[in-house]
Amino acid sequence: MALLETTDGTPEGAVATPTEKTPGSLAQRRRSALPPSLLVGATLFALIVILLVLAPWLEPHPPAAQDITARLTAFSAEHPLGTDHLGRDVLSRLLDGGRFSMTIALITLIICAVTGTLVGFLAARLGGVLDTLVMRTTDVLIAFPEMVVALFLVAALGTSDLTLVLALCIGGWTPFCRLARIVAMEINGQDFIEAALALGCSTWFIIRRHVLPNALPPLLAHAALRFGHKLITVGALSYLGLGVQPPSSDWGAMLAEAVPYLDRAPLLVVAPGAAIFLAALSVTLVGRGLQIRQTRRDS
Amino acid sequence: MLYVLRRGAVLVATLLVASFLCFLLPYLTPGDPAARILRARVGDLEQDPQVLEQLKIEYGLDRPLVEQYLSWLGSAFRGDLGQSFTNGTEVLPQIVRALSVTTSITVLALVLALAVAVPLGAVAAVRHGSPLDAAITTVTQAFVAIPEYWLAPVLVLVFALQLGVLPSSGWQGPASLVLPCLTLALRPMSYFAQVARASMVEVLEAPYITAARSRGLSFAQTMMRHGVRNSMLPVLTLFAVWLAGLLGGSVTVEVIFAVPGVGRLMYDAVVNNDVPLIQGAIIAVVGLAVLITTLTDILYTAVNPTARVDHGTA
Repeated sequence: MALLETTDGTPEGAVATPTEKTPGSLAQRRRSALPPSLLVGATLFALIVILLVLAPWLEPHPPAAQDITARLTAFSAEHPLGTDHLGRDVLSRLLDGGRFSMTIALITLIICAVTGTLVGFLAARLGGVLDTLVMRTTDVLIAFPEMVVALFLVAALGTSDLTLVLALCIGGWTPFCRLARIVAMEINGQDFIEAALALGCSTWFIIRRHVLPNALPPLLAHAALRFGHKLITVGALSYLGLGVQPPSSDWGAMLAEAVPYLDRAPLLVVAPGAAIFLAALSVTLVGRGLQIRQTRRDS
Repeated sequence: MLYVLRRGAVLVATLLVASFLCFLLPYLTPGDPAARILRARVGDLEQDPQVLEQLKIEYGLDRPLVEQYLSWLGSAFRGDLGQSFTNGTEVLPQIVRALSVTTSITVLALVLALAVAVPLGAVAAVRHGSPLDAAITTVTQAFVAIPEYWLAPVLVLVFALQLGVLPSSGWQGPASLVLPCLTLALRPMSYFAQVARASMVEVLEAPYITAARSRGLSFAQTMMRHGVRNSMLPVLTLFAVWLAGLLGGSVTVEVIFAVPGVGRLMYDAVVNNDVPLIQGAIIAVVGLAVLITTLTDILYTAVNPTARVDHGTA
């Protein structure tokens, strides 16, 4: 603080705008404060995760328990969100179904992010033939829409959790790879990498100690944004009957089951859709917030 | 030129990978392909080994895999993708018909998205940092998180069941286009608006905007001649990306609204395990998608040569 004040008299300090002159001013506090979207998104996401983790204790009924006498009922004390066409408790099924969607989305996200980042870093670090090979591979893979890959895999391997994860991972690592590669190339051009090379550091050491920490913020923001995308795709595949298989269920499958009763019980469709929306929204907000924080730091 | 050649090579490689994987499809599934063809033909679980052997020779299933692939690829090139297992008709005409349906709803949806997104992005960029900008940004970000298989039933609930003004599904007349197109348009619209805004904020800070204003051009003229036009390139690139993606990505919407497009065709083919139809549809969709992205990339570098350097090292 004292140091900053003494530099006030220098020409740079003189032309600086008043907000930049005093530390702890509004502009600086804004810069260090968390962006509202990050705060809201993270809170919402934490809430959803807590609810899903505690699901077995929170569910008012077993999610698969049928009660044919109470089909398609509206809100009640016993069934806070009503019941579906088989008389199953909607709230319990929502809490239970979310566990599947979120787990699959998280697993595929981790696989894609780790693989893509590592391949991207290596391509940027080693360059040459490997780099070309990696880039052309991503070029080819990007041409395959996720849904087409999923349909192909279901045709070849049948429906299973493994098929679902594979479908989301085959092309899913490429955006991470491209981003990681671009960021790593920027970092590779800097002096401290040159210094590390001169000191005889290994490729692996440079990636771990220098590239990764510097590349992490943009990659994390990207991962959060992709998480929402994965959640929606998992739901879409389950909706089509290609994802989760009975007797398990998830939000997409619940939505599909509820569509025939759209006119009689619209809440059955609205509730699981809203769950997917809120979960996807929370991570999207986190991703945007991280991006905003990053640009603020850079500027 | 070199760039065009390289893009062409990627295009060919993509098609070869797609075709080889599609060719492998019947071999990847457990069980003998010949037995499966026979079962699909006669629907009989009791199979005569002699007929099976005959069928293998007839289909060339006794030859080496590579040889089979080349002959299969050859006939695919001549437009012979085989006959559908389920209805015995030629696969190619079915795919062409379905692709034309999908292309029309996709293009319509994306044009609609563009028509809404560009003015929205422009308004947000002009009022950069205002509450209106914040509202547009927040809403378009939230729209991205709306799954289309949720939006579709909700739109049906409102417009078909409650108001009764539009058909809930099917493919008769222009009215049945409205809900599928609206559903498909929402997410690309949000992305277009975000990109349009970001691109225009950058353009509006450029010196030539100030120059145009000081030359006496009105604000509206400046926006039309310089602002919108110069900020369109990233938006149009994204347009092409979505066009390529939605050809295979509109499966859920087509299934929900019973649109006879290529997504629905693929889905039905997978459900019925109709191998020739799956192969043909996937090759067609991937081929068209890679053609669109390749052309976009080439056009983009033609318009903006600096991108080539970026791509060359990138």
